[in-house]
Amino acid sequence: MSEHKPRKTTEKKVPKAFGWMAEYQDENSLLAAARKVRDSGYTKTDAFTPFPVHGIDEALGIKPTILPFIVLCAGITGLSTALLMQWWMNGVDYKYIISGKPFGITPASIPVAFELTVLFSAFTTFLGMIALNQLPKFSNPVFTNPRFDRATNDRFFLYVEAADKYYNRESVKELLGGTHPDSLDEVLEDTTPSALPRPIILGAILLVIAGLIPAMIILNIRAGYSTAPRFHVFFDMDFQPKKKAQQTTTIFADGRSMRPQVKGTVGRGQLEEQDSFYLGYDPAKLTAIDTLETGKFVSLQDSKTADGSAAKPAADGSAQTPAAPAAALNLPWIDKLPIEVSEANMALGKQKFETYCSACHGYAGFGDGLVHKRADALAQGYWLAPTSLHVDKVRTQPVGQIFHTITKGQGKMASYASSLNPKERWAIVLYVRALQKSRNADMSEVPADMVKTLDEVK
Amino acid sequence: MGKNTQTNRVTMATIANSFNPREIDNTDDIPGRRAPLITGNQTYGSVTDIVCRVAEDAQPMLWWILFGFSSLTAVSFLTLIAFLIYKGVGIWGNMNPVFWAWPIVNFVFWVGIGHAGTLISAILFLFRQNWRTSINRAAEAMTIFAVICAGIYPGIHVGRAWLAFWLLPYPSLNLWMWPQFRSPLLWDVFAVGTYASVSLVFWYMGMIPDLATYRDRSKSPLRRMVYGILCLGWTGSSRHWLRYEKAYTLLAAFAAPLVLSVHTVVSFDFAVSQVAGWHTTIFPPYFVAGAIFSGFAMVVTLLVPLRAIYKLENLITLRHLDNMNKIILATGSLVGLAYATEFFMAWYSQNQYEGFTFFNRAFGPYWWAYWTMVTCNVISPQLFWFKKLRTSPFWMVVVSIFVNIGMWFERFVITVTSLSRDFLPSSWGYFKPTLFDGLMFFGSFGVFMSLFLLFCRFLPTIAMSEVKGIMSAAAHAEHAEGAHGHDH
Repeated sequence: MSEHKPRKTTEKKVPKAFGWMAEYQDENSLLAAARKVRDSGYTKTDAFTPFPVHGIDEALGIKPTILPFIVLCAGITGLSTALLMQWWMNGVDYKYIISGKPFGITPASIPVAFELTVLFSAFTTFLGMIALNQLPKFSNPVFTNPRFDRATNDRFFLYVEAADKYYNRESVKELLGGTHPDSLDEVLEDTTPSALPRPIILGAILLVIAGLIPAMIILNIRAGYSTAPRFHVFFDMDFQPKKKAQQTTTIFADGRSMRPQVKGTVGRGQLEEQDSFYLGYDPAKLTAIDTLETGKFVSLQDSKTADGSAAKPAADGSAQTPAAPAAALNLPWIDKLPIEVSEANMALGKQKFETYCSACHGYAGFGDGLVHKRADALAQGYWLAPTSLHVDKVRTQPVGQIFHTITKGQGKMASYASSLNPKERWAIVLYVRALQKSRNADMSEVPADMVKTLDEVK
Repeated sequence: MGKNTQTNRVTMATIANSFNPREIDNTDDIPGRRAPLITGNQTYGSVTDIVCRVAEDAQPMLWWILFGFSSLTAVSFLTLIAFLIYKGVGIWGNMNPVFWAWPIVNFVFWVGIGHAGTLISAILFLFRQNWRTSINRAAEAMTIFAVICAGIYPGIHVGRAWLAFWLLPYPSLNLWMWPQFRSPLLWDVFAVGTYASVSLVFWYMGMIPDLATYRDRSKSPLRRMVYGILCLGWTGSSRHWLRYEKAYTLLAAFAAPLVLSVHTVVSFDFAVSQVAGWHTTIFPPYFVAGAIFSGFAMVVTLLVPLRAIYKLENLITLRHLDNMNKIILATGSLVGLAYATEFFMAWYSQNQYEGFTFFNRAFGPYWWAYWTMVTCNVISPQLFWFKKLRTSPFWMVVVSIFVNIGMWFERFVITVTSLSRDFLPSSWGYFKPTLFDGLMFFGSFGVFMSLFLLFCRFLPTIAMSEVKGIMSAAAHAEHAEGAHGHDH
């Protein structure tokens, strides 16, 4: 305790003096005084005025500022930043292809380049001014004099600093006193405690910590792992008021959100599953076939056995291709051609048959095409010959079944659905029917006027 | 006129004894003499008193009534924005084919108003128009607040407002992509963003010396501390003033082209598209003229009551208002010329789409909007040819409000009539606003007025240091002139 007493007495000692401050009523007296002080050789001087007094820089001998050069550099930086940014972002890193317009720096880069030049320059102007003026500076010895409050109102002050190399307390006082100031005071050290009050510091620390809490929580959630469902601040499109397949609903009595198709309608894009023109059989009559047969049909389509369990590949690999016993294909085939029997369709069928079918089946349909001949020679007995179209099994097939064979394939024969459109397939069926007739008919079926022609060909 | 100039010899000396500003008409120009910019025989101290009184005295009852009403409106606006974010932009009337409806109209309306402040501070500064000093501060504040109102609309119009930051080119960890720099909408982000921040810096920098005045007049320690921090410890040092003036000039030089660029870029949003009625090269100058027009009208609307309520008639004199009204008359006529040019080009180009668009504007389903616009924007400012109306506070407020209405309708006409009648007649439609459109436009005025009233309450409404600087210069000029007269 006893140690405190001498300390307190040392604090009470005369505060340090920083210089002399003279006060004037108007700017003209200030300018006159400033010139006098300048001519006396003092350089560590300053004037404090409520507005920028014209001519004070000359009167005090203040050098021009370098601020414009700093701003020029900032402006160039802004311009280059804008151009580089646009060139790299849109010309290199992420190219937008729009109407074949060029990448990189184009006239379209001008607006952003201009704006960033202005932005960089303006902020540098402001921050540069603040930095060169060494602001903010809240504790300043000039504020110790209560009269100085009028420096921002209607009074003009001239200040000679003690730091000046020619400074002499008495001679400066005499010099300034000779300029007829309203008042002349010595600028003294600010003796009020400069440290912030403890509660303010404590409050600021608490505020900073409290401010960090939300950021830490967000960071923890974003960077950490959790088994709980994601917390959605904004739903975006993750949750929508709609029903998806396999979901339940209370709207319908059966509780299913998926609805069965309305009878007698065709779904959009489902015509090919509904119309005999595309299938070769009449789907409306499918229900008439007993369920066992339908099951077999389904098994053809998605490689499931009739009892509904998925087909397992057999050890010998024989079930790799869907086994399609011909007897199982007891579908409600249509037996009337859905296309017109005309010269044009016949020609189309002939052309497509010769392009796609004749390679194996032969031009006349006996299963003796070039592929067959070559393969038979190479395979030496292991080659299974293509079916002749003139055997009874084929001849008795309804047109729909032949169409189905072309569409889906049969045994080693591939599907031709991707090469031939339905009309072309039907045209081939028409041509196959003609071929069959040509090889299996008696003279009574030949029209009377054609008999003579036929004889001539013979 | 002759008699008038005889009775009112408007020099600093002759108005010395006059106190009622309404008796002084400083709008007359006497040959060979500069009319005084401020009246009432002001000294530096009296200017400080008049301006500081606004913030130091208890606010008049009218302030509380206006602030109560406008802050309530502002809070309702924020509530409506929250509801919009919760519910989606479907609460507005925006519907095929008019997807750019009121939000964009309001955005352009407010951005346009936000042009006057920086124009007054920057362009008039570069042209050495000293009369700007009494009005620039309030006009700049109005600019900032208008740009804030403007910025809200594109932000909430993007649909997912919480992702509006995607507009900025930042290195995204989720998107791995950059904005499209060839799009005028992105230029808009840069233009409005730069304008808002540079205007704010300009405004704040201009206020630093006046905030120091507020600090030095403060009686309470808290006030002193707050203003002390805001003014960064400004002392009025001449060495500081030198750099400050250089910085102010530089900022003015940057802000002047910036002002012109902002509404040019806003007009590009329209002009770069292919829509008939938008795709024209006249848009940039036409938009800039319209922006200055609406901005000055808003300044007049605000300043006439402001000077009456706070008794600032000696600083914001009739001459200031007269000058602004002349600018309104000039820009209003420019806007009228632009309307006429659009019609001329529609006919002269012989482009059937252009022709139809403009015929449809004037005589189509939105004829009422078009003719409201023409009446308010072209016809009403013509009243300002008469000096009696130009110098009457009542009439100038009436006309300026008409101009504000007209300029809103101009943006409505441009946006909605072109979109509702595009190239494909099968997609034509008629835009109908909803209640939310109306409430959310009205609400933005609440934000604007609340901020402006708080500005009057807490910040220096008139640039005191600049007014004093002009007084000093005027006194020097008068002195020099007097000495010159004696010599002869």
